[in-house]
Amino acid sequence: MTAPIAETTGTAKSISIRNFNKYYGGFHALKDLSIEVKAGEFLVLLGPSGCGKSTALRMIAGLESISSGALLIGDRDVTEVLPKYRDIAMVFQSYALYPHKTVAENIGFPLKVAKTPAAEMEAAVRAAADQVELGEHLDRFPGQLSGGQRQRVALARAIIRRPSVFLMDEPLSNLDAKLRGNMRAELKHMQGELGITTIYVTHDQIEAMTLAHRVAIMKDGVLQQLGTPKEVYSDPANLFVAGFMGSPPMNFVTGALANEVFTSGSIQFPLLSTPNTASATLGFRPEDCQITAPGTGFLDADVFTVEMTGDQVLVTLRMDGTPLVVKMPKEFEIEAGAKAGITLDPKHLYVFDTDTGARVRRG
Amino acid sequence: MTPKRSIFEAPRIGQMSMATKIVLYSLLLIWSAFVLFPIYWLIITSFKDAADVNQGPFFIPFVDYQPTLHAWKELFVNDYEDTLRAYFNSIVISLSATALSVLIGSMAAYALSRVSYAPNLITILYFIALLALTVLAVTIYQVDWRLASAVAIAMFFFLARAVGNLYQFQLHNGDILFWIISQRILAPIVVVVPIYIMFQSVGLLDTHIAIIITYAVVNMPIVVWLMYDFFNSIPRDLEESAQLDGATMIGTFREIVLPLSRTGLAATTLLVMILSWNEYLLALFLSTSKAQTMPILVAAMNAGERGILWWTMSVAIIVMIIPVVVLAIFLQKYISKGLLVGAVKG
Amino acid sequence: MNEWLDRHMGRLFLAPAVTLILIFSIFPLVASLIMAFTRIRFSAGGFKTRFVGWRNFDKQFFGSEQFHLLGTFTHISILGWVVGLSATAALLWWMWRYIRGPFWWFGFLGRLITLGMALALVWMFAATLLSGNQFGTVGTTLFYVVVGCALQFLIGTALAYACSQSIRGKTAFRVIFFVPMMITPIGIGYIFRMMADTTKGPFANVWQWVGLKDFAWATDPWAARIFITIAESWQWIPFVFIMMLAAFENVSRDLIEAAELDGASPWQRFAEITWPSVMPIAATVMLIRAIEAFKIVDLPNIMTSGGPGIATESVSLQAYYAWRSLDLGSASAIAYILLFITVVICVSFFNLVVLARVRKQQ
Ligand SMILES: Nc1ncnc2c1ncn2[C@@H]1O[C@H](COP(=O)(O)OP(=O)(O)OP(=O)(O)O)[C@@H](O)[C@H]1O
Ligand SMILES: [Mg+2]
Repeated sequence: MTAPIAETTGTAKSISIRNFNKYYGGFHALKDLSIEVKAGEFLVLLGPSGCGKSTALRMIAGLESISSGALLIGDRDVTEVLPKYRDIAMVFQSYALYPHKTVAENIGFPLKVAKTPAAEMEAAVRAAADQVELGEHLDRFPGQLSGGQRQRVALARAIIRRPSVFLMDEPLSNLDAKLRGNMRAELKHMQGELGITTIYVTHDQIEAMTLAHRVAIMKDGVLQQLGTPKEVYSDPANLFVAGFMGSPPMNFVTGALANEVFTSGSIQFPLLSTPNTASATLGFRPEDCQITAPGTGFLDADVFTVEMTGDQVLVTLRMDGTPLVVKMPKEFEIEAGAKAGITLDPKHLYVFDTDTGARVRRG
Repeated sequence: MTPKRSIFEAPRIGQMSMATKIVLYSLLLIWSAFVLFPIYWLIITSFKDAADVNQGPFFIPFVDYQPTLHAWKELFVNDYEDTLRAYFNSIVISLSATALSVLIGSMAAYALSRVSYAPNLITILYFIALLALTVLAVTIYQVDWRLASAVAIAMFFFLARAVGNLYQFQLHNGDILFWIISQRILAPIVVVVPIYIMFQSVGLLDTHIAIIITYAVVNMPIVVWLMYDFFNSIPRDLEESAQLDGATMIGTFREIVLPLSRTGLAATTLLVMILSWNEYLLALFLSTSKAQTMPILVAAMNAGERGILWWTMSVAIIVMIIPVVVLAIFLQKYISKGLLVGAVKG
Repeated sequence: MNEWLDRHMGRLFLAPAVTLILIFSIFPLVASLIMAFTRIRFSAGGFKTRFVGWRNFDKQFFGSEQFHLLGTFTHISILGWVVGLSATAALLWWMWRYIRGPFWWFGFLGRLITLGMALALVWMFAATLLSGNQFGTVGTTLFYVVVGCALQFLIGTALAYACSQSIRGKTAFRVIFFVPMMITPIGIGYIFRMMADTTKGPFANVWQWVGLKDFAWATDPWAARIFITIAESWQWIPFVFIMMLAAFENVSRDLIEAAELDGASPWQRFAEITWPSVMPIAATVMLIRAIEAFKIVDLPNIMTSGGPGIATESVSLQAYYAWRSLDLGSASAIAYILLFITVVICVSFFNLVVLARVRKQQ
């Protein structure tokens, strides 16, 4: 699915995030975050709002001080180094375009402050603008551009410098679906081509799955899981990651597990080689189950709604108030209000300890 | 690659370099001293008597000299009639003028930000021409002013439409706004003589009402300017939904807009209040004794044959400052926030 | 009834303000203009007016009051010629450049008026200040406006920038710096007279030490003007401070941080990002200050009564003195001259500085 990490050109640097902690007064925003990012890797930070993604990114950029921990870029310890000496380019969530400068002046700003000769700068600006297809708009002011164009100006300002690290904070969050798709492809292509180590923050799972070499999932300032998109999807480390990844999300049924049998109300389901758990949660993905006639499956439930999404049918059922979603092929037909059974594939079952959230049984 | 570091560069993230700190804090502290020292001097002078002042500078009460309430007594016991009357006048005048100005000004600002107007320039020019003719007739040719204005008003109402149809040149809200705000460019001295004569001819000279109206008009441009931007920054769909629910324009204004613009109103009120409270030149023209305000009283203390009595003068200035300071403390949190909307966008 | 009210609410809301302004601003303006062309004599039970044409203005510009309004003209010194001619050349070149660019009648006329005013003021200063002659109230007023506003702007902006950094005690500084704005100008006039007193004031020992014990600043023209300017600045720096502080705090932090990441030094961040962002507000603040500064009257009146001679007299004060001597025609004429100068200068500033920036970015 994801291209392998590009052969690095030699300029790409690895990033070591070691035990990052961040306190805002008494509030512990980031707790012992450690990630080793390989040279040339595309790492996506994923997590719910307020979990500390932007904080982590800003600490890497040096815009926020590191309360405790260390940061290495390449072999150099930059924990205490000022932002401008870190050789980092960042795309801000808000674009941070200078409203009083033209597109060309915005893109050329990093070179201007580095006192690059005018001719060289002009050529670089033109090249960067062409790369993001903004060649015609060089003389406009940001206020005269559309959202997508502003976005691309921000990108061009970042890539004009060929830094050792790219940081991007939800760079596509304000675009419409189509533009977002285009820009996603553009970004992926550009990163593969330049081979610059990139850390990318997003809320959008599709972005995470398609762009990342590896995904880091965070919650409340704590790293939950770090792995390839495939790993975090099919081998979630805990209840949170399992519920966070995937759309529609994983179905959960709570109950108890004793003597290799999962019990929830009237349901009984044998689960071999699984330790006893007083309160257990059974999870299965909508695409890993099927609807059958009532009484023949793992459990029975009432059909609540049926949604046709084009290439498939999403059936939402209710069992004692617990919603369960099943993905069926597009030919499938059923009436809302009917009773139906659900069969499971034991190979694709996940069991978690409800209290700790820990994964109890490997898939 | 060893970049040259300036001494102002931060040693660590989120910290200031020592050099920056020294420059910043010395600037701020020096200026604080420059601001506070005259006020300190004012306060200690109010507790001195003639000897303490005349025998050279004494800086620290109880150490250099023995503070007395002499000056305070003089102003509030011996001359209490004058002082209290002026004080009372000032309070009445600035409160009423502020209320009037803010009320009328924000009504106009609200209307300008919500309703579209399209007055015809020709009609306005016609009106001004009539006005000029009337004044000319009254002043130079001694026509009775009642007769002249009656004729002028009649001519305006009968012919306004006809004249307006001669040529259409429509103005817009922006023009009206600019016209109102530009009134602030008029130095009081330009208009005060006719205003003086006007109030004199209706026998309102040296009354509260004359000063109140004049202050209200002089400060109206500020109110309109600040409040227009403030109203404009309030999303319109709130009112539209209220109107769909059947509220009238007054109802919407009272129920939705006023509560939302409290910040701007507070800042504007404070500013207008300060300006009216401290105003000098207009009061000098329009009041002689009965309606005399505090600034006039203070300024008049200069006139004694013993030279300036610095100690009583200081007391008078202090009591003038106190109400403004109290008010400012109450409205403190609104000041910068409220003034900003206007300034930042204006 | 309610519906009628609602339909006409737009007019009813605007009407009081417009009416008040018409009666107390426009009417006096028109009346004042007419009075400027008349001579008014008070007599028992009223006054008599007589139309005298341009005579009131004539007296101010060319007649017995010329020294008072414009200054004393005897000769023009070498320095006066040099500065006057080079300024004239610069102004004409500026005009020439406009004519060769995209031409627009309205813009041309406006610039012509600006040019005329600038030339008149330049030669007025060349023939007075630069030729060793006393200048009049127009020169003094311009001194207050230009030097005062520049001083207030520099210090107010510097303080605001310092206060917009992450420093301790921000609120305290803010409150302290705001205080002078609340004090009546009359009070400020007297406070500064106390401060400047060379025998009884707080700095008496300092004066004595530098040998200026018997120096009365109110008797030296330049010392008096500078003292008034300092007092005025003390009063108005808070205004500039508050406005500029808001402007600085309104600059998006993202922009500064982005510039920091792009490698800009603290100075570059200020010059390239912060300053251009606050520039439009700065121009507006300057405009407001200039408009108010042209009206200056209380401080000279209180601190020096316009003295020594006419050295600190502003145009407003001159008009007030004319009114006090019951010369209403002259008072109106002088006031109108002030109005004309104020409008031309402020509108030119607005058009050439404030609007020019706005036009560029739209
Ligand atoms: N300057 C600050 N002072 C105090 N708390 C802060 C500050 N900045 C962030 N926080 C807190 O730190 C936590 C993490 O914030 P952060 O901005 O990193 O979230 P995020 O993951 O980027 O969220 P989002 O996806 O909504 O942007 C939040 O709870 C936030 O309230
Ligand atoms: Mg964020």
